[in-house]
Parts: sequence; C-alpha cells; structure tokens
Amino acid sequence: MVYPQGNLPILPLKNSVLFPAISMPLVINRPTSVAALDAALTSEDKFISVFTQSDATVDKPDAQDLFDIGTLAVIKKMIRVDKFLHVEVLGIARVKPKGAAEEKPYLNDSFHYLPDLSESDDSAEAEAIYRAILGLTEKMLKLIQPEMQTGLNYILSEIDNPIKQIYMLGTLMPISVDNEIELLGAETRLALYRSMHAVLEREVQVLELQHEISSQAESKMDKERREYVLRQQLKAIQEQLGEERPEQADVDEFRQQIAELKLPEAILTEVEKELIRLERMSSVSPDYQLTRTYIEFVLALPWNKTTDDRFDLDRAQKILDEDHFDLKDIKERIIEHLAVMKLNPQAKAPILCLVGPPGVGKTSIGQSIARAIGRNFERMSLGGLHDESELRGHRRTYIGAMPGRILQAIRRAGVCNPVLMLDEIDKLGRDFRGDPAAALLEILDPAQNHDFHDNYLDMSFDLSNTFFIATANTLQDIPAPLLDRMEVLRLAGYSDEDKLQIATRYLFPRRLKEAGLNGEQLMLEEGTLPYLIKHYTREAGVRGLERTLGRLVRKVATRVAKGQKESLRVSPELLTELLGPQLFINEQVRHPLSPGVAAGLAWTESGGDVLYVEAALLPGGKGLMLTGQLGDVMQESAKTAHSYIWSNASALGIDQERIRNAGVHVHVPAGAVPKDGPSAGIAMVAALSSLYAAVPARSDTAMTGEITLGGMVLPVGGIKEKVLAAYRAGIYRVVLPEANRKDLAELPEHVAQRMQFFHVTCIVEALSQIVPGLTGQVQRQTNGGDIL
Amino acid sequence: MKYLKSISVEGVPGAVWSPPADIYKCGKQWLVKVELAGVSKTDIQLQVRGSRLIIRGVRRDRQVLQNQISQSMEIAYNRFERVFEFSRALEGAAIQTEYLDGMLLITIATGGQA
Repeated sequence: MVYPQGNLPILPLKNSVLFPAISMPLVINRPTSVAALDAALTSEDKFISVFTQSDATVDKPDAQDLFDIGTLAVIKKMIRVDKFLHVEVLGIARVKPKGAAEEKPYLNDSFHYLPDLSESDDSAEAEAIYRAILGLTEKMLKLIQPEMQTGLNYILSEIDNPIKQIYMLGTLMPISVDNEIELLGAETRLALYRSMHAVLEREVQVLELQHEISSQAESKMDKERREYVLRQQLKAIQEQLGEERPEQADVDEFRQQIAELKLPEAILTEVEKELIRLERMSSVSPDYQLTRTYIEFVLALPWNKTTDDRFDLDRAQKILDEDHFDLKDIKERIIEHLAVMKLNPQAKAPILCLVGPPGVGKTSIGQSIARAIGRNFERMSLGGLHDESELRGHRRTYIGAMPGRILQAIRRAGVCNPVLMLDEIDKLGRDFRGDPAAALLEILDPAQNHDFHDNYLDMSFDLSNTFFIATANTLQDIPAPLLDRMEVLRLAGYSDEDKLQIATRYLFPRRLKEAGLNGEQLMLEEGTLPYLIKHYTREAGVRGLERTLGRLVRKVATRVAKGQKESLRVSPELLTELLGPQLFINEQVRHPLSPGVAAGLAWTESGGDVLYVEAALLPGGKGLMLTGQLGDVMQESAKTAHSYIWSNASALGIDQERIRNAGVHVHVPAGAVPKDGPSAGIAMVAALSSLYAAVPARSDTAMTGEITLGGMVLPVGGIKEKVLAAYRAGIYRVVLPEANRKDLAELPEHVAQRMQFFHVTCIVEALSQIVPGLTGQVQRQTNGGDIL
Repeated sequence: MKYLKSISVEGVPGAVWSPPADIYKCGKQWLVKVELAGVSKTDIQLQVRGSRLIIRGVRRDRQVLQNQISQSMEIAYNRFERVFEFSRALEGAAIQTEYLDGMLLITIATGGQA
C-alpha cells in the first residue's frame, strides 16, 4: 500500500487510541482539531493522522503533548452538527512523526510508517501466548455482563486476523491509555501478544475479584434490594393511579410553607439541605420520620414572627390593678420596666424574678404583664428539672431526640417575643447529667441569649426579644450566678385584710361563676368571709382560701341543683354546717403564758409564723438540753441566751442559785418541723429569763431579733412576713431590732396602724417590754434611761 | 465496553471501503456489476487468483476545492476492495470489462459449469 509522503494534519485524541484496522466514531469540537479535519476532508484521499495526548487535561496540545506513536487514518464519514464534527475514522497504519511538526493553522507533520505485523510468527511461544489470550478472553466473556458479551464473541468468532483481534480487544477493554499505547507500539507480533496477555490477565483477575465481592455483597444486599424493587414498583403503581408519593406531598407542603414564611437566609439554606435529603429518602426509612419531624419543628419556630408591644402605661396599670389587689410596689416596678422598654425598644428585655410564698399570685402577675404589653404568654415549670438536655435539647443523632423546653415553649408561644415564665426556678435539680442552672445562665444573659444554641435545632435562635420572668419561693436555693442575672421582686404573704379584699373582689365571684350560681342564690353575711379566712385557712397565699370558697360554693350549688329555690345567706354559724368544724382554731395564741414561754416569730417559705419557745427547769439536773429539731445556728443562739442570762443574772434580778442548781430544757414546737436561724435569740432570752425569774412574759407580745453575748440585738430578715404572722395570730405588740425599722415601710397601712412596735438595740430594752415582771436593775435602768 | 455499539472491523485489510455489487447469471456467463461512481478508470485494478475475482482501487475526491468546507460526507474515498469467490478456478475464463456511467461491468464466461 502506498502511504502519503507529505505533511498530514494531526488529530489529537484525549482518552482513546486508534488502532489500525479499527473504525472509531469521534466527536470533535476543539477549533484546531476541527481545522485539521476540515483540511483532511478537502484532500483527495481523506487521510489524517490520529495521535493520543499523553496528558488528557491539556486543551491545546502541541507536538510535545502527544505520544510519539500514532495512526494513519482515513475519514469514512462525517456530519457537522453545530460546532461539533461527528466523524468515523478508520485506522490504516501505525506511524511515527518525523519530528518536524508545524503548529499553524493546525498540527501537522510527516511520518515514518511502521510495519503492519502482518507476516506471521510460527514460533511455539507466539502460538502459546496467542492461545492463552484466546483462553483469557473466553474466561472474561463469562465474567462480564451479557450486553457486553456480543462484542467479545464477535472478536473471538468473526475475526480471523490475530492482529486485528488484539487491536479490537485493546479498543474494547477498559484499559489505560498507557497500556493501549504500549499495544500500539509493539514492534513484533510476539511483543504485541505479550503486552496483550499481561493486560488481559490483570483484567481477568480484577473481574474475578469483582465478581467474588459482588456475590458476597449480593447475599447481604438481597433483602434490601428486594424491598427497594418492591418500593419502586409501588411508586410506579401509585403514579399510575394518580396517587402522589407521600414523601413528595410532604416535601411540597414544606416548600410551600417555606415560601410563605420568609425565613432568614442562614436558616433557609439549612432547611433546604434537609429537604433535599428528605426528598431522596423513602417514607418507610426510620430516618425519614426524624428528618420530617425536624423540618416541621424548624418551620414551626417563630423565627421572625412578633407581636407589637403596647406600651400604654396607663392601660398597663389598669390591667395590673384589675388582675391583682394591692401589690403596689411590684406593680410600680413593673410599670417602671415597661417605661424603659417604651423609651428604648432596643434595650435588652429585662429578666424579672418574682419571689414569694406559694399562692400569692406570681404566675398570674406574669400573665398580667403579658396582657398589659400585649405579648403572648407562655409558662414552663423548671421544678424538678435535673437534666441540662431538658433545657437545651438532645442532639439529633440520639434516638428520641427532642428540642429543649425553651424552644418548645417559644414554639407554643408562636412568636419570638413572648413573655416566658420560668416557674419554680429555685426547684431546679442537679445531678451527674449536668446542671440545668448552668444552662439557664446562657439563656438568661441578655448579652448571650441572642445566640441561643439548642442541640436539637443545631442553629442559633435569638432569645433576646423574649421577656423572661422567673418565679421562686425562696432565694436561698437559686445559684448565685443565676440570681445575679435577674432583677428580684419580692411578694410577701397577704394579711387577712388583703385576703378579704381578694376573696371579695376576685375569688368568690369567680367561684360563683364557675359553679353556675349568681350572687342572689348565695350571699355571704358580713362576718362570714373573715371567719372563713381565719378559721378555715392558714397560709400566706390565697390558694387554700380559693379552694375552701370553691367547696362552699359547691355545697350551695348542690342544694340549688336539688331544687332549693330561696337564696341562701351564709353566716359564720352556717359555715360550720357547710364546711364542717373550723380547721384552725387560733390555738397557737396562748393566753396567758406561763413562765418560761415566749412568742418568737419565724419566717417560712409559706410566709411567717408565730413560734413559741418553751423552757423548763430541771431541778437537780445539769446543763442545757435543746429539742425541737433545732439547727446549729439556733442551738448556738439558745446557748448564747443561756449564757447571757447566767452572766447577767443579778442585773436581771435572777437568783443565780436557780441557774446553778438546775438544768434547763428548751423546746421549740412543733417538734417535727426543722428550724434554724439566729432570729429566735430574743425569744430564747425572754423564755429563759421568764423561767428563771418565775414571771410570765406578756402574751400579747411577739419578738424577733438576733442576740449577742454582750447583750446587743442585731437585725434579722423577713420582718414583713413575721409581722403579718403576728398580726394574723392576733398579737399586736412586736419587739424588733432597731436596725429593722426601715422594713416596716413595706407593711400594709392597716396592719401598721393596728400594730405596736418596739425597736430595741439591746436585750435589756427588749426584756422590759416582754417580761414586765422582771425585777432588779432592768426596770430601774429602763426607767432611768440608763441603758447598759 | 467502551465503543461496543459502533465500532466495526473491516473485513478486508488495507481497504477503506468496499463497493456494492450485483451479480447476474446467464447460462455459463456471469455478469458482475460493481458500483464505482467517481472512480477513475485508471485507478481500478482487476485480479484473478484461483477461484477469486478481486477488484481493487482508489476513489479520489477530485471535485473538492481548497476553499470549500465539508459539511457532511457519506461517500467513502480512498482505497476500496471487493472479492468475489466463484466455485471454480477462473484462470482461462474469458473476462471482459466495461466502465459505463459509473458502473464497472465484468462479464465472465467460464468454460464449464459454474
């Protein structure tokens, strides 16, 4: 065959090698390649040379970027579609460039033509390798997929020329360009056979291995695959029936929601990611429900939904007054807060902490605040919460993961600026699972909570617009760092007068309404409510009172329902008939007191209480015995009182012999209730001195105050509650430390007017008011104004 | 594998295409009609080897100008080859050729039964 001797255009290929006698379709669109083809197409013989790039990533190859062996080819067919040339080229002969390549307007060169290996090699080695190649090819035939087998079959059965067979194999098999070039460059038949054999052997090994792996995997995969296939079929059937896939319906619904929601950008991308995941999942997979729930939750969160605040202070005041009786200070503080929020809307929302005994209306004040400024109200109880994750949520990877309580409350509120009440913040538990109080630190810090991170949500949520209100019964149990972040508002217990007002204005009408009665069917006589308050309830709040009123109303409702027509006027006497005998007789007010007993005042979580300190002489006994579950501090104050009296016996007009010859027992009932604190000091001194002097203390006088061994009286806390307790108990004289005078300002006016206060700085002064029968210097000193 | 559907291997080595042909028989005479449009008479070779009749040659694209740009090409150029196998040796048979309207007509009159 005569080969062209002049320069021929070069067509560079990126990932394939054209062998002689092989016809190959190509799609060409590189401009230089198109130019090369155009030139070849206008030639008489349609010759072109085809070379493979040694680096497929080069887009404009020059002669150096090509392998130095290529193929002379003839273009058999061509069709131009837009900028693409679809051509079919047939390899003719192997060529080596002479190395004088020109690059303009397209790569071209002239060539040495290599022998076509057509003369046969009869050596035994060649024959053996050739047979091995056929064997391997047949083996391969069994390992590859059926649709590929025809090609191989054709090579084996139809082609009689071994060279062509091998070139064809080289073209069809997925071998690397380097291997193909090696085949193309083989100088002899034997060399070609050897290269092919190596390539084939490796390929067969890989295929066998692949086969093995897939058959192993197959047994495992079988069940899943079966399910998958069935599900696909189900899907097809559903589509045929016009039923939408449930998953798609979900996703569509979410998309629609998102379109309506106007989410922040960052949230949107995150949700979109999850949606795409959801779309790919089957609704039966367990992950599907998790992801779906998650997206649902994210979309349900009020990312930028708010209510408009109404800072009409007069209106707010009116609402607060409507909802609650008295509580003047608290209301004032709240109005102040609202005023600040009105003047500076950018100011961080304050965090209030309402502290007071149960039933005084802490929760309902929160509701009133929300109502006053027109925000949504949501409340969550922290009582008994001991796991940090309850607040912050669990990471979504855990089974049963849920968002934290905070975000759940926000979601329930439906806006991102609700009034959120954290109830019972003093009753947070803590254990090995973490300290929820520590998590609250972040939530309640206005400087941090704009970036609140919930583990479940795994995105930041802005809590800075939320108005947090915490409630607690005592401050003692609130961790200091937490307390530090809150503005404490104290609600003391109600006096009987307060309760009367509350019952008349709020509780009784409400109960009547609930029972379906009107004010004419049930009327209360004047003295009935005070009697009920005094003898059927004993508490700082009004919850028990409301319950009792409820009971009363129900009894009457029963009568009305049974057909009683005439209206019922309830007198105190009738109360006994309706509610049973009175529950609380003022048994605690002892009148008169025997020597050795004094009325102390105690502060408890449920308000104040009158606490009697009893002392008894033990003739012939020794030392000081203390009972009544007294704490260390209280025991010490008892000892201090005893020592003070002993050391000042003569000054107090007490016979030292009585002290020396007898032991003394101090008891504080009720014995089952633990008590502690220093404020019973004065009561201890009073009880002991009355005991030793054998004169009774005044039964109409209650007292509180810490004492020192030197005879000083130090201030104590909870004055308001204590005074109210005395007032409730009908004890109207109270001895207080001088330093507590300021606390009396908190007292309701009617109480303050009724009470008589004695502000004392030293024990002697106190005793003169409490144990008037004490002889000796006390009287003289007090009267003479010459105080110790 | 890679190009399975469209790759083909040429049956005849060294040739790019092979022309279509009609064969007629009339008594002891054969007429072989080969479509060789555009092939110059001087570029056709006829060979007899045993019972084979071999037609070879080259079709050159002489109608194209340098400034023309090919838009579509369906006619194969360059070398062609076509081999006809007869049931008996052709040596000694009377072979006549005629090139008419792009068709090569080959008349073979064998001595005995074909």
